[in-house]
Amino acid sequence: MLENLQQSLEAFDLALFWEYRAVLLPGLLYNFYVFFLTVGVAVGLGLVAATLRLSSNVVLRWIGTGYAELCRNTPEYITLIWIFYVPPLLLSAALDRNVSFSPLLAAVIALGLASSGYFTETFRAGISSVPRGHIEAARALGMSRSLTMWRIVLPQAVRHMLPEAMNQMVSLFKSTTLVSLIAVPDLLYQVSLVSNATSKGLPLYSGAALVYFLIIFGFATLAQRFSDPWRQRSR
Amino acid sequence: MDAPWIRTVWRHRDVMWDGLVVTMQVTAIGFVGAVVLGFVLCLLVMYVKPLRWPARVLIEFFRATPIYVQLLWVNYVWPGVLGWPSSFFEAGCAALAVQSAGYLAETFRAGIEGISRGHVEAARAQGMSSLLVMRRIILPQAFHTMAPSIMNQFLVVIKSSTLVSVIAVPDLMYQALRLTAIWFEPIAILSCTALVYITVITCLSLVFKWYTDRLRERYL
Repeated sequence: MLENLQQSLEAFDLALFWEYRAVLLPGLLYNFYVFFLTVGVAVGLGLVAATLRLSSNVVLRWIGTGYAELCRNTPEYITLIWIFYVPPLLLSAALDRNVSFSPLLAAVIALGLASSGYFTETFRAGISSVPRGHIEAARALGMSRSLTMWRIVLPQAVRHMLPEAMNQMVSLFKSTTLVSLIAVPDLLYQVSLVSNATSKGLPLYSGAALVYFLIIFGFATLAQRFSDPWRQRSR
Repeated sequence: MDAPWIRTVWRHRDVMWDGLVVTMQVTAIGFVGAVVLGFVLCLLVMYVKPLRWPARVLIEFFRATPIYVQLLWVNYVWPGVLGWPSSFFEAGCAALAVQSAGYLAETFRAGIEGISRGHVEAARAQGMSSLLVMRRIILPQAFHTMAPSIMNQFLVVIKSSTLVSVIAVPDLMYQALRLTAIWFEPIAILSCTALVYITVITCLSLVFKWYTDRLRERYL
């Protein structure tokens, strides 16, 4: 009992976590680095796939839908491992020389693919929420297709999809913790290194959980605050 | 010489099958645990005043921590502090349950709050006990609004269950990584594993979609 109590105290003694800030902080920055790169990839791919899904061509529409479903129905961990190992081997065989992905590149591609499926859905819903009448009116006034998209559809669509897109980004940040599995030196990876070296896992893992909780909770609360007025104005 | 996927995957289909069974066990136990824990947390938040805040904090903590962090936290910290879980398998189930319980608690709360007060008051006026009202009036109606997100959460649990391989629970992902390490044929093994996961999840999501549509047709 006493031993248990002592261990519980040790588990929340975050001094050790603070002591190793010189290695842990760069790890946390790596999380943000991966996050920002991945957001770019995911939003880009999501926009392309959403455009395909909304196209008038049946084949393109199917390709867009199939892509989004495939991305959403694959566990992120297996996407990550698959991208890390398989495409480099295929490329090596095809190009006849050694190709390998750096862990960071594989992580950004894999997480980008995985979350682009969700972004596709969000973008599609946002764009199709704009009433057809608005588009027809803009076209009748002589606006070109791209101008209609830029001036009429997107400003309204963004308002609709912003809250959902924010949620998507919060879950994307959560997935960035997976990159430590292919040795991208993020916070969790550093934590496991330090805990192997010091064999004091308890406070380190508790500290990591707490740090992630504070960041994600803060981010989610801010996103909510920020998107509520938008949601109301768009009604 | 056989094709690589026959040499690696097909010859070891019994190992892969064992892995799939463990995946199903972890998913099922984790999901049932999540439903129970989520329901308890939801009831605490809604009806037990003194425990409202602790329950809220737990829900927010479960929701706002990544599953992988949670898994490592449960695996490394809980045994020292709580004396449980005692095996990797239990730790995996517990982490999955805890993660989804936060989401499900919110789903349950939204579903229960969606029932109009009039129904509850009418039932109480008829002399039904609170328990009976919950069972006969609230839950059957709330189920229709909650079903889509509950089913979606089940798919999330399957996807997250791949991570338990990290703490050496011998699920499908674990076996796939082990075979890859032995044979070094990542193309065949990893692609087949991915295909298994995609097939299972896609089929389930189609069934769930069909069921959701049917519920909507019937009750809206």
